[in-house]
Amino acid sequence: MAASGFEGFEKRLELHFFGDDPASGLSLSHHGLRLLDSGSLEDVLHAVQCTIVSAVGNQYFDSYVLSESSLFIYPTKIIIKTCGTTQLLKSVRPLIVLARTLGLSLGSCRYTRGSFIFPEAQPFPHTSFKDEVVYLEESLPSSLCFRKASIMHSKVGSHSWHVFTACDATAEMAVRPVPDDLFTIEVCMTELDRAQARKFFQSPGRVGKFTGDSAGRAMTALTGIDQINPAALICDFAFEPCGYSMNGIDGDRYSTIHVTPEDGFSYASYECVGSVYDDLNDVIRVLRKVGQIFRPGTMSVSITCPSADSWTWVARALEPLGLKRRSCNMDEFPEAGTVVFQTFTMTTARRETLDEGIDPHEDVKQLGCAPWY
Amino acid sequence: MGSILSSFLGGSSGEGSSESARVQAFHSSAEWQSHLNSLKESPKLMVIDFAASWCGPCKLMEPLVHKLADEYADVSFAKIDVDELRDAAQEFKVQAMPTFVLMKGGKEVDRVIGAKKDELEKKIVEYRATS
Repeated sequence: MAASGFEGFEKRLELHFFGDDPASGLSLSHHGLRLLDSGSLEDVLHAVQCTIVSAVGNQYFDSYVLSESSLFIYPTKIIIKTCGTTQLLKSVRPLIVLARTLGLSLGSCRYTRGSFIFPEAQPFPHTSFKDEVVYLEESLPSSLCFRKASIMHSKVGSHSWHVFTACDATAEMAVRPVPDDLFTIEVCMTELDRAQARKFFQSPGRVGKFTGDSAGRAMTALTGIDQINPAALICDFAFEPCGYSMNGIDGDRYSTIHVTPEDGFSYASYECVGSVYDDLNDVIRVLRKVGQIFRPGTMSVSITCPSADSWTWVARALEPLGLKRRSCNMDEFPEAGTVVFQTFTMTTARRETLDEGIDPHEDVKQLGCAPWY
Repeated sequence: MGSILSSFLGGSSGEGSSESARVQAFHSSAEWQSHLNSLKESPKLMVIDFAASWCGPCKLMEPLVHKLADEYADVSFAKIDVDELRDAAQEFKVQAMPTFVLMKGGKEVDRVIGAKKDELEKKIVEYRATS
């Protein structure tokens, strides 16, 4: 592992809003947060220290590729995911203020992240999970009275999952335009296969001749990222001299991939929305394709609001690739519901992370609803 | 890094009118059809900007489109609001916004989907030159 480098692990924030007057709020909520003007949005991102590099929208939501990850704006929901040394939580207060100008109030908040590869490089309030939680507690209105913070550990020391959620009980009904049948999948991958990671470097002759847009498109096709969900419209971008980001939009669902390909701190993330009504084979195929593209040494998968058996198919998707499940952890959170956090490591001999001391069947026996460390 | 959209916003995003002299907005089907017909025989490159008033990426791209229109005076720029001219949006199969359709001699030669400033400019330069 390098002594220092770019932090690929993202911080993710999801905010749900509701209109003051549900009856008349309908026309406002129809577009809601999408009506925020570009200048105000830019100011918020400036506070976080990232900028917009590409964007596209459809009838359901707007998506933005940022200099350090992604932003999705639905009428009553905002999702921001940023990496590097961005100060993501500084967007909370300004977003609450901006939403109020549209007559929208905050109903719930969800903050998640993995473990930083370079934690000492993080600025306040991301200096520790405790600092982040305190900062969030102070930034959220007291109406969000149901709160919980927890670190979900795993048998892989470098991958833990940090979760904080808060919600307002009375607004909960109005706030859930997203029905319980949707779930979010957040995948974090480290120690990427070197040959695969190389595809995310712009070749020296190309830099300057090609722009971020077209170089991004080339990487999407070369790596097969466009095959993960062929129906999605992809908004991609390649950074100089390396690095890649994409947002996929498919109806009202987003997907997003971010890659830091440098050896020593390589990282890639994949996130998407699934439904309990989806054909499970499709979801398995998607996750397997992601594993095939990056062939990571370690992969962690967090699923929020899953269906009863949602964690079982993840292992089914990944084991044929040589990714063995090392741990599974479950916990319940306000608004978010159940969060299932699983870690996998590559078992092939050429992987340095192989730990032959772990009995691969031990985890399966211990699975249950109680979190364990 | 490639060009950053936000660096162009400066103070201009607040300026009132969304219609500049060089970007012609169309508000009726008849007006639009007649304009399309008039350019059918023309070797001029036309860029059609399909946008929606409630779509953030469209608002972001707007000042950049005006800049491109000012810079490339030999290219015709048209703007269509997908709510106002639903038929035109459907005819051109617009599913995401903004969508920029490049037309020459009455035929679509290419399109750019999304607020992709560099890609749009690259294609304008490419197609305005060829005849």
